[in-house]
Amino acid sequence: MSFWSQTLEIARVDLTVERRLGDTMRIVLPFAVVAILVFPLTLGVDLTAVSRLGPAVFWAIGILFGMQIALRQAAHDDQERRDLYALLGVDPAARFAGRTISGAVLMAGFLAVLLVAMIVFYGPRLPDGWPGPVVLSSILVAVGLTELGTLAGEVTAGLHNRTALASLIVAPLALPLVIGSSQTLEALARDAGILPWVLVLVATDLALAVAGVGLARPLEEASR
Amino acid sequence: MDRLIDLERVGVSLGGLPVLRGVDLSIGPGESLGVTGPNGVGKTTLLRVLATLLAPDAGSGSVLEAALGTPDVYEVRSQIGFLQHRPSVIPELTLAENLRHAATLVGANAAKAETALRVVGLDDVASRRADASSFGMLRRTEVARLLITAPRILLLDEPFSGLDVEAQELIRALVYRTTSDGGAVVMVSHESGQLSSHTQRLLPMALGSLDQQS
Amino acid sequence: MTRVKVLLAIASVAMAVGLWSALTAPADTLQGDFTRIINIHAPSMWLAFLAFGLTALGSAMWLIRKQSRWDRLAAASAELGVMFTAIGLFTGMVWGQAVWGRAWDWGDARLATTAVMFFVYLGYLALRGATLDPTVRAQRSAILGVIAVVQIPLVYFSVNLFRTLHQTQSIRLDVVTMPREMSIAILVNVVAFTILYAALLVARIDLAKAEERVGAESALAGDAVKPPRLSEVKDV
Repeated sequence: MSFWSQTLEIARVDLTVERRLGDTMRIVLPFAVVAILVFPLTLGVDLTAVSRLGPAVFWAIGILFGMQIALRQAAHDDQERRDLYALLGVDPAARFAGRTISGAVLMAGFLAVLLVAMIVFYGPRLPDGWPGPVVLSSILVAVGLTELGTLAGEVTAGLHNRTALASLIVAPLALPLVIGSSQTLEALARDAGILPWVLVLVATDLALAVAGVGLARPLEEASR
Repeated sequence: MDRLIDLERVGVSLGGLPVLRGVDLSIGPGESLGVTGPNGVGKTTLLRVLATLLAPDAGSGSVLEAALGTPDVYEVRSQIGFLQHRPSVIPELTLAENLRHAATLVGANAAKAETALRVVGLDDVASRRADASSFGMLRRTEVARLLITAPRILLLDEPFSGLDVEAQELIRALVYRTTSDGGAVVMVSHESGQLSSHTQRLLPMALGSLDQQS
Repeated sequence: MTRVKVLLAIASVAMAVGLWSALTAPADTLQGDFTRIINIHAPSMWLAFLAFGLTALGSAMWLIRKQSRWDRLAAASAELGVMFTAIGLFTGMVWGQAVWGRAWDWGDARLATTAVMFFVYLGYLALRGATLDPTVRAQRSAILGVIAVVQIPLVYFSVNLFRTLHQTQSIRLDVVTMPREMSIAILVNVVAFTILYAALLVARIDLAKAEERVGAESALAGDAVKPPRLSEVKDV
């Protein structure tokens, strides 16, 4: 079977499993919305500050909680599942790519709902023409975060403190995504070009994709 | 292909401790081997090496002419079937979906999955989720998967543990099919009695080595 | 199912009467026709409190009696409570957007605490969804159901609790003078919604019983595992 056929089949099953488990939409997403809700209360209901902080809070919560989505998915890959895929002849790179696609789809949906919640609860004053750049940067963040989460999951496979360790690994490495996404909107608000920041996101995603595909086999061997 | 499995002085260490040492093994087409020994002697580790999932730290070997510990093993892995001690299924999928998923990944059609389910006797419970199925049902699902993938090398880790007579007969039929098609079978168990009735040759294992004199 | 059909029929009539009274009651002098949404908002919030209160009761009774009917009551009521809370929140936001120009007002403590209550019970439902074993599910969700009920007084009294901390709204429901006809319309809708809630609760409990019956039957699935067809092994 071709690389892309395997990739799409892995992605399809991942999304089926998520639909049945409901980890992302029934647990992580409500948790993230609660975080978005609770945050303004710590500001003493200063509506101006709340309004201004909305986009920043969206990205911060989106990325921190989005990490959990990526890591949850990676956690499903126990030793038996990896062995099964290996002996079915699935290319580890296809497994990485499939996981990235399914994770990115989930995360994009997650960020979309979070964005609506942020707009409703924070009432931010968004610059004209914001939907396009925000959607684009959300998709790029979704892809990059999933790639990071999948890689971190492979690197920490089999360790007893895997979840915490993987989160620690992903968080600082997600910095380019945090900066690129938040600065895209800031640049739009200042009427400055958003291209440099979009390129930061694209470059990060590409670098992670190359790393994920290129290192897939060594990572699989190391995880045994 | 003269020898399907060829190991020469293979050694493996896990966690810094030697698990396999100086293992010599040669298996040709149509042969079936049973490896017996108490818990902890390295039987499962040996199977993982034969499945190319573990590279040797010492010695050399080849499976289906792919040298162990080299990228060549990726070309032959799909010809190896491994029934591990713990069933490897996707818990959230139904038994049928698990099989269709495997069939799709190896390029087989859905009809083959349906046939395999019927042959192993799971057609009436195929819509049951794997995480709601018994151990025996999961084992049969794995056997069905092996019927679909038709591996040339079949590795079985304590295959009869927890199975009823019908399921054991199913495994026997799978072993017979593999060897009669020119493949090889390696089965490990701590009960030598079970192995002797299912394999042509029996080797005891102790302290990480095979006793070839037996 | 007959009693469900009867209840639904009564609820349909009651809702129709409620709708009629909501549309025929005079509009508010300040907020105009927007106020009519209160005929959905207020009953929804009342039912959210009632539903979660029954969830707490069912949870407590399960912990005492360990009878599955109490667990069914708690779960069904929680589902309906989440639904009515969502309706209450949504209608509150629509009202806020229409009247005050903002859907969400952080100055309204009741709105914020209601939203938190919504997520608490979403968590309750997520816990139930994640637990496969029925007894373990009942046990764990009963404990959460008893603890979570503290949300109800927190929401109800939040306006009083946070009065000294936040500036109150310039227009608040409890100080708006309503025409008598409006108050009657709200009461009629509260009754109508309550009947609807009862109908849906009974239907949901009946569904849960049916699910348990199916589950018990499929527990015998081992009998459905057939002998393998050994002679066909080579043909796969």
